[in-house]
Formats: sequence, structure tokens, C-alpha cells
Amino acid sequence: METMSQFLSSCLPHSPIHIPHPLQRVRIGANAAFVHIRSFMRISHISLTNFRNYARLELAILPGMIVLHGDNAQGKTSLLEAIYYLATSRSPHITADRQLISWLADDEPIPYARLVAEVTAASGLKRIEMTLLAGNRGSAARFKKEVRINGLPRRVMDLLGQILVVMFLPQDLALVEGAPVLRRRYMNVTLCQTDQQYCQALRKYEHTLSQRNALLRNLQEQGRRGDHSQLQFWDETLAATGAMLIAGRHRLLRDLERRAQRIHRDLSGAGEHLRLRYQPGFDVSVEPGGQMAFNAGDLGASALPELPPDEITGRFMEALSACRRDDLIRGITTIGPQRDEMRFLVNGHDLGLYGSRGQNRTAVLALKLAELSWMQEITGEWPILLLDEVAAELDEKRRTYLLERVGEAEQVLLTTTEPSLLPSELLKTAARWHVRNGTITVEETLSG
Amino acid sequence: MPGAIPASVTRLIDEFSRLPGIGPKTAARLTYYLLRTPDENALALAEALRDLKATTRYCSSCYNITEQDPCPICSDEKRDHEMICVVEEPLDVVAFERTQNYRGVYHVLHGAINPIEGVGPDQLRIKELVARVSQGAVREVIMATNVGLEGDATAMYIHRQLNGLVRLTRLARGLPVGADLEYADSITLSGALEGRQEMHE
Repeated sequence: METMSQFLSSCLPHSPIHIPHPLQRVRIGANAAFVHIRSFMRISHISLTNFRNYARLELAILPGMIVLHGDNAQGKTSLLEAIYYLATSRSPHITADRQLISWLADDEPIPYARLVAEVTAASGLKRIEMTLLAGNRGSAARFKKEVRINGLPRRVMDLLGQILVVMFLPQDLALVEGAPVLRRRYMNVTLCQTDQQYCQALRKYEHTLSQRNALLRNLQEQGRRGDHSQLQFWDETLAATGAMLIAGRHRLLRDLERRAQRIHRDLSGAGEHLRLRYQPGFDVSVEPGGQMAFNAGDLGASALPELPPDEITGRFMEALSACRRDDLIRGITTIGPQRDEMRFLVNGHDLGLYGSRGQNRTAVLALKLAELSWMQEITGEWPILLLDEVAAELDEKRRTYLLERVGEAEQVLLTTTEPSLLPSELLKTAARWHVRNGTITVEETLSG
Repeated sequence: MPGAIPASVTRLIDEFSRLPGIGPKTAARLTYYLLRTPDENALALAEALRDLKATTRYCSSCYNITEQDPCPICSDEKRDHEMICVVEEPLDVVAFERTQNYRGVYHVLHGAINPIEGVGPDQLRIKELVARVSQGAVREVIMATNVGLEGDATAMYIHRQLNGLVRLTRLARGLPVGADLEYADSITLSGALEGRQEMHE
């Protein structure tokens, strides 16, 4: 049941009223052992309105490890999702943005949700706000995201990199065996958090790709009358932006592979050797002299020589003109980073095809921990860690390894339905919050 | 409730709803406002609408909207007819005229290449531009299409059509007046850097 003040505030869009929340008073003493001052990035406060099953939430967030526990469908994952959304402007789930706005907001003239985070970073305090507007019901008005940073309106893209997160989800397992689109999405989200140029190239590439595909279909309809020279501009833009995506993804997988290999060895013993293979969505392999430069084989990403983007652009242009006939017949662009693949190999065998569940779990865990150390190195900050139900998903050995690795982090939010699965030492030092029906209560003492 | 609203009222509401930026509620509000307004005001609106289509046409030279052909700009002998500024929309001409700094003439394309919207070169006044330039007596063509993929695609297409026929220039890309450097996005800033100019006294 929501309280009266929660109900009132959800009735007032853009309410300036600050609702004092009991949680803000319990910060002191909740976990004296873990409250130490560091200059690293962390979220100090989050406020949610009409987000998922939170009608209204005002929550001070401690540094260190926080265990969120409670039954299913109470709002544990939604809190992690809110933080992830503020960091990446996407949901970690493949879901319609409209569904993020609570059904409780449906009675309002314009259903909306608002997410606000106060972030403490080396550069000072930042206030990051996001408003999701569903648009008027019955009208064609589209879903809109509005972003403000320190009170100033900003583009959604400017959000990226403000909060760094690494998230572990039960469905991450699908990265190994699921559809290729999941792996491309993974590479995009990871790179967009740290590389604004990649992000701009990605947007421009996707826009260009839609225009080129539309042009291909228009030319198809026009038949012989069609003016094929119109393709020139779109081909050039596609090649230039696509080359930046390929170079960025290749660098990412090369860096991740080196780190993941060490972690994977720790987890699985010396007998298993992990590789991450990058397969660009067109054949960059044939050099003008006929040598193989991007030889896929069973080599991992770090075994491939790095190509400068200019060179990739040139080959992309050649490849586009080579398959132009094909593209015109099919009415779609058949090559490019929209067809990229990354594969997980252990001892040369493709885990997507031959991996056991256990092997796949280990590979994903190694990848995620590699991502964590990679992000730390290139940004110089600990990302905020969001661990969703990892206790149930991993066996004891992997669970212990993971929790040891993340124990140093500035801020970790971990959800579980079953706190008893967590190591008792962790429970002694972590703050413990109980989540029930969209409200969060801080527990002073541990019952475990 | 059929019959609650007379047919002539519904008809006007429907016509208003077709306009960009006007939803059914605004359309109804405008219609009932006109019902209450004195007859001569409503009739003045009707006449203005009729004259809009009856008296305007495209200028046969620059394809701007005009009441006389050629348009006042194209028939102004004091302007430089050897310099053509290519724009997407008639309102872009208004923007250039406001500068009081441009003495050449214009060419209005009426859109930009946008395959998703089904707009190709044939839907724009590009052939007319090529014909105009081919007749000679043009010294410079200034591409002033919007900045963005579609505007760039249009500019590049025209560039290929006119290449070698005439001097082609493009508007500089840079920072708006009053802009704070620290808030400029990196694309704009690198554009401004590339388009930097020598300093003059």
C-alpha cells in the first residue's frame, strides 16, 4: 500500500515538494564499518516516480555493498534497472520503453516517469534527471525521453558516461548461445558508455543504413529509370561510420579477451583456454595483394592485426560496390557492422554450439569481470556494480570468486531472494535492505 | 452522438485537423471560435485561404513561392544574378533576406533527399537548377542545405550534377553566436576547427 504522501506526489507532475523519507535518517550507523570516504564515483541518492512498480521512491544510497532482498516481483531488479537506465539510456531487458512507466501513472493526463540520481564523483556532485513521457493517449504523440544534467536540458547522448555501470543479469547467459543481436547490443552498450565518438558513429551509421535501405527499395521499384549514382553518398557515409564501429569493436574485444583469459583460467583451471572471436559483418580479409589480414579461423580478437579506420573504410567501399547488385535485388544492405558477430571459443570449440551450461556461465562471468577491469582502466573509476540474482545463478565457487573480485568496488547493489546463499562474511559487512511492493526498508541488524 | 454536431461544423473540424500541429481538440476549438466571431472576420479568413492558392505560384526561375512571375528577387536588377544560393525551403530564403547581407539570387529545392520519405532528386527542383546553371552566366552556386545527413546527401548529389560547370561553395559550419565553447558538442566544434579562417585586422 502506498502512503498518502506518495499518492499525493504521484498526482502532481513536476512536484517541487520534497518528501522527507524515513530512509534518509538511517544512514548513520547502518553500516559504520563500510562508510569510508573515497573520491570515486557513486550514487548518493536516487528518486523514482512512476518507474516500474515504484510509485514514489526517495532513497539515500550508501557506498559499499548493499544487499537487496525480498520476494519476486517486489521491485529489487527495477531499482537496478533504474540505475542502469540512467547510465545507458536503455533498459537491460529488451522491452518497450513505454512499459517502464508504471501502470499507476495511466490515470494521469500524460503518463510519465521520472528518474533522478545524485552522483558523487571526483569532479564533484552531479544531478542527473530523466523524464519519460508516454505521450497523450489516443494521440500519435510518441514516447519521449528528456534529460537534464545539473538542471540544464541535455541530449540523451550526453547522459552516457555520466554514470558508469557494469551489470550482471541471469539472462546474460544468452550472450553465448542467444541471437547475434544480443552480442552486438552488448558491444554497443559497453562502448557507448566510454566512447562518445563511437556512440555518434553508431547513431549516424544506423540512420544512414535506414536511408540506404529505403533508397535500395525505391531504386528497385523504379527499375531501369532509377538513378544509381544516388547510392554514392550513402555508401561513403556508411563506410566511414561503419569503419569506426568495426575498429572500436575490434579494440574492445581484443582488450576484453586478454583480461577474460586470465579470469577464465582462474575459474576453470589451466586446461581450458578462452578466446573471443570478432567476425566483422563483411570480409575485411583480402588485402590488395591477396594476403589474409583479418583471418578469422579459430583465432581470438587479440590475434588479429589492428587495421586503421581509413583502411577499413576503403575495403568497406570496395565490398559495397562488389555486392551492390545483390543489395539492389534484395532491397537491403547485405554487409556491414549490422551483421557483426562475436563468438566465444574454448579450446577452439564454439561455446554457442557446443558449450555446456556450466562452461557458458564461466565464459560470461569471465567476460563481465573483464569488462569491469577494462572500464576501470580506461576511465580510472570503479563502475557501479549491479548484480541481479547472481547467487542463484552461480555455484559456490564462482559466486565466491565474483564476490571477492567486486568486494573492492566503491558501490555494489546486489539483489537476491535468498540471502542465505551469500557468504556470511559478506552479509556481516554489507548493508541489508528489504524490498517489498515498491518500498524499501533498511534493516539495522542481520537476521541471517 | 450523430446529429449533435451539424455536418458543416464537422467538415471544418476535419479540415483543420489535417493541418500540421493541430489535433482534433484544437480543431474543434478553432471551429467554435469562428462560429462565434462576426461574419466579416470569418469571411476574411475564407478569402485569405482562397487567395492563397489562387494568386500564388512558383517563380519560373528560382521556384520560390510568389505572386508575380518572375518573383521580386529574380526581377530585381540590382541583385547579382550570377550568384545562386540553393536552399531547401521558402522560409530559408526569408532567413537569408533577414541578414540584409546577401545580394545574389536563390534556388528553392522544396525539400531534401530522403529515401525513407520517398523523396529522391526527381521530387526536388534539381533538374531546374542544373538547367539554370547550364545556360551559363552563373559564377557561383552556394549550397545552403540544412546540416545533417539528408541535407548533406542533397548537397553531394547536386555537387556531382554541377561539378565542373561552375564554382561550388558550401556554408561554413561552426558555432552559433553567443555559444559557450565548453557546451558545444564535439561534431560542431571539430567542424568549426576545420573551417577556421585567417585573422584580419
